Amino acid sequence: MGSIAKIHDMLVSKECSCTELTKRYLSEIEASNGELNAYVNVTGDEALRAAKLVDDKIAAGEEIGMLEGVPMTLKDNMSTKGIETTCCSKILTGYKPIYDATVWELLKAQNAVMLGKTNMDEFAMGSSCENSCFGGAANPFDTNHVAGGSSGGVSSAVGANIAAYGLGSDTGGSIRQPASFCGVVGLKPTYGAVSRYGLIAYASSLDQIGPITKSVEDAAIVFDAIAKPDKRDSTSKGSAGETYSQLSNDIKGMKIGIAREYLDGVRDDVREAVLEAAKVYESLGAEIVYFDLPILKFALPVYYIIACAEASSNLGRYDGIRYGYKTEHYTGTHDMICRTRSEGFGEEVKRRILLGTYVLSAGYYDAYYKKAQNLRGTIIQAFNRAFEACDVILAPTVPMTAFEKGHATSDPIETYLTDICTVPVNIAGLPGVSVPCGFNAKGMPIGMQLIGKSFGEATILNAAYQYQQAAPEKFMDTKWGVKL
Amino acid sequence: MVTREDVENIALLSKLFVPEEELDSLTQSMQDIINFADEINNAPASDEGFDNINNLSNVFREDVVVPSYPSEEILKNAPEQGEDHFLVRNRA
Amino acid sequence: MKYELVAGFETHIELQTKTKIFCGCTTQFGGEPNTHCCPVCIGLPGTLPVLNREVVRYAIKAGLAVHGEIAEVAKMDRKNYCYPDLAKAYQISQLYAPLIIGGYVELSNGRKIRLHHIHIEEDAGKLIHQHGDTYVDYNRGGVPLIEIVSEPDIRSIDEAKEYVEKLQQVMRYIGISDCKMQEGSMRCDVNISVRPAGSEKLGTRTEIKNMNSITNIAKAMEYEFERQTDLIESGGAVVQETLRYDDATGTTSSMRSKEDAHDYRYFRDPDLVTINVSREEVEALRAELPELPADKCRRYIGEFGLPEKDAQLLTKYRAISEYFDKACEGVKSAKTVANFIIGQIFRRTETESDKEVFAVATTPEQLNELVKLLDSGKIRNNLAKSTLEKMLDSGKGALEFISESDMGGVDEGALLELCKAAIEANPKAVEDFKNGKEKAIKALVGNVMKNSRGKADAVAAEAKIKELIS
Repeated sequence: MGSIAKIHDMLVSKECSCTELTKRYLSEIEASNGELNAYVNVTGDEALRAAKLVDDKIAAGEEIGMLEGVPMTLKDNMSTKGIETTCCSKILTGYKPIYDATVWELLKAQNAVMLGKTNMDEFAMGSSCENSCFGGAANPFDTNHVAGGSSGGVSSAVGANIAAYGLGSDTGGSIRQPASFCGVVGLKPTYGAVSRYGLIAYASSLDQIGPITKSVEDAAIVFDAIAKPDKRDSTSKGSAGETYSQLSNDIKGMKIGIAREYLDGVRDDVREAVLEAAKVYESLGAEIVYFDLPILKFALPVYYIIACAEASSNLGRYDGIRYGYKTEHYTGTHDMICRTRSEGFGEEVKRRILLGTYVLSAGYYDAYYKKAQNLRGTIIQAFNRAFEACDVILAPTVPMTAFEKGHATSDPIETYLTDICTVPVNIAGLPGVSVPCGFNAKGMPIGMQLIGKSFGEATILNAAYQYQQAAPEKFMDTKWGVKL
Repeated sequence: MVTREDVENIALLSKLFVPEEELDSLTQSMQDIINFADEINNAPASDEGFDNINNLSNVFREDVVVPSYPSEEILKNAPEQGEDHFLVRNRA
Repeated sequence: MKYELVAGFETHIELQTKTKIFCGCTTQFGGEPNTHCCPVCIGLPGTLPVLNREVVRYAIKAGLAVHGEIAEVAKMDRKNYCYPDLAKAYQISQLYAPLIIGGYVELSNGRKIRLHHIHIEEDAGKLIHQHGDTYVDYNRGGVPLIEIVSEPDIRSIDEAKEYVEKLQQVMRYIGISDCKMQEGSMRCDVNISVRPAGSEKLGTRTEIKNMNSITNIAKAMEYEFERQTDLIESGGAVVQETLRYDDATGTTSSMRSKEDAHDYRYFRDPDLVTINVSREEVEALRAELPELPADKCRRYIGEFGLPEKDAQLLTKYRAISEYFDKACEGVKSAKTVANFIIGQIFRRTETESDKEVFAVATTPEQLNELVKLLDSGKIRNNLAKSTLEKMLDSGKGALEFISESDMGGVDEGALLELCKAAIEANPKAVEDFKNGKEKAIKALVGNVMKNSRGKADAVAAEAKIKELIS
């Protein structure tokens, strides 16, 4: 049984009150956050207020929903009214939004108990969480290792049981990669399934919000709750249908594709774990089909061109006038804006803004941005053709396991290469879920990725759940946090 | 080929200061990333085109007034304000 | 050497939709600072735009009114530049696939000023500079605009003025904007260059911004034309740059500073989806358009036989032309109606804004009734004129001032008697007329009119008197 259902049962059976449960989570956060640095803002008072509402409801004999009273967290790039939202950037220091993100509005309406906001790479740009102005989050399997990024805080918190679940965002792998590093489940939904309203933009045509959870069934429950069409997001459509009720579908005959390119350049232990998972699928009656997807080798440059271009535009608004950080000393408006931005943004963010500005600037637009957009079309077509021959694509989530803190190379390109398996899904707008599928020699988790057709969340979660049932030993708990 | 002038120009467009002593290393770093991006020139020519992910069209709102926010709320996060305006005070 | 002026216009017009282009805030002008704002239009992180359907409809109407082609597929782009009045550091606009392509504005000299395209975009907020401090108000941020971009087809300042007036007129007619230059709901940037008369090659152009009236546009262009001509004649070269017009000094000056690097890095806005315009929708919008001023003007000249000048006066504002059209219903001569309006009613609506509103005490139906009395010969012109003045003073109908006995006119026999009596009573005038003093006849006609209490037909009376005394 997943954590959410377990907590729901505990609350309904009055085994413990929501307030007691919330206090347990808060005290575990207090005990461990110094080491994990998963939370950048703990909102204990708000959490206890929300818990009280749920307790009152239960006391009054009212029925409660599945997510009601379940303690959770949001990545710090989702707008929460009255609660500081920083994107872990100095430039948003002190910013308290005056409106709620749609996802938070949906969960709040179900009396979710938010414990706090979690750590991330600044503006979601990074793969280690170390680009956070608050310092990186640690991996609950070994705190000398990074949690991954950019949603490192959520993954760390969920992996360490100091949140039952959390919402992250994924632009080029930012949900799946840290989920893989921290041994948890991370779902990046189809572009448009979840509203982006209130998600502080990194790259608008790639960003999606999704759940990071301990189990596949939890991911399905949370996805079903947040995948709603939203009038405030022109690109949102909602989900194709409930996924939770389809988890137990038989996968006999399901065609699981493996693109050879996804296995290129992947560390041996990771490749072996993924191929072993393929065998598990075969034992469940699924059919493994191999194919080639040569266009994938262009996915990474296409991703960085598009993401940086959009980011350079999205991040223009941080100018020290309306919100956030403003420099102390300046000589005029232009000088104030330049100083504020130069002091407020971290190195990686500045690098991506400059790159994005470059690829959009006169004389380079056609060669880079336009060409990348065309290739995006080609990549989408290639996936469409691949899905004529299979139902789901199986791939590694990351070519490696979590690296040691401070070992993220200073070479930006080498760092970008860690995103090689995750970015194609964002480029094509497809759903992808990362599921634990083993451990390396040092005991660090390995993740595999199941990629589905557009709006095919039910299929990939079904396949993920069947794997989880067949290989429960891959879903290992850590020493941390609340034991349910 | 990314030049120092290119970097100075894009920094100005990006409203970022690049200290003189970092200009060379930043130019080199930009050049490396651009070399990496140049990989796409080896991709097969394509005319697939791309519009928007789910090929959506005609998503509109109706022209109905929704109450605005009180100006205190609007100005709440401003680093500096004055006379109900956002304010950039002259510090020179 | 003689130089020719070449100019093109970029005209921004604020649309009178109820709400802003991407959020539900009101578009009302004025308001306390930062009170017509929400998270979307002040660009708070995480907010997203949703396009106002009415903006697309208004823009299509504008396009149809200037003979533009309505695109089947239009897209929104981001124009990136950082300035405190632009909350997101980009303006959502259109470059690669604008809503309207081509079109033209026809001038009275028969020349057509071609339009390159019309696109929709959002307005920026307002900056107030005081003692070096900058105050920002975002009430105007996100108000919908159309930008009408002309080809460089304008060849004189008079053409420029007429072009702007024609745009103003037609956009007001179709009810999409009040086009008030003083309030900023219509703003013009002019691209201007000069070249030797007869040359086909375009000279280097400058762009003048910041003009808030047609008078200023004319003055700025005049100044700039002379400046460029002098520069070229003295062997210099025009520098392509953006200029600001200073109303106080009547001169232009460069707006460029090293802080502005102009590269807008346009790209498709990923937050907004494609706009598909069906041909049915275009036709439905076309059907909603009123008769356009140019068409009305042609009709007044062709069908009613009005002089061009009168037709133009009557079509300048939609309210006047609608008044005129109503007052003309079923009358024998529209010219008579036109004369009453231009000769008498216009004296009561002296300013341009009075004329635009055209709120006069006498309704068009009342004027129509008066003209019909005249048509039927029941009253004469003089009486109609004086009656109209009373009507305009009081708002009452014609019959309030004209008694039964005033009506009916004067028949042939009675007119003969009246003329005879007039001749009898004024031998001196008869003598003068006979001695070649043409004007003397007026005294005799005046006598007839007086004795008939204005009911006699002055023209018929004059003819009859001439017949009797010659």
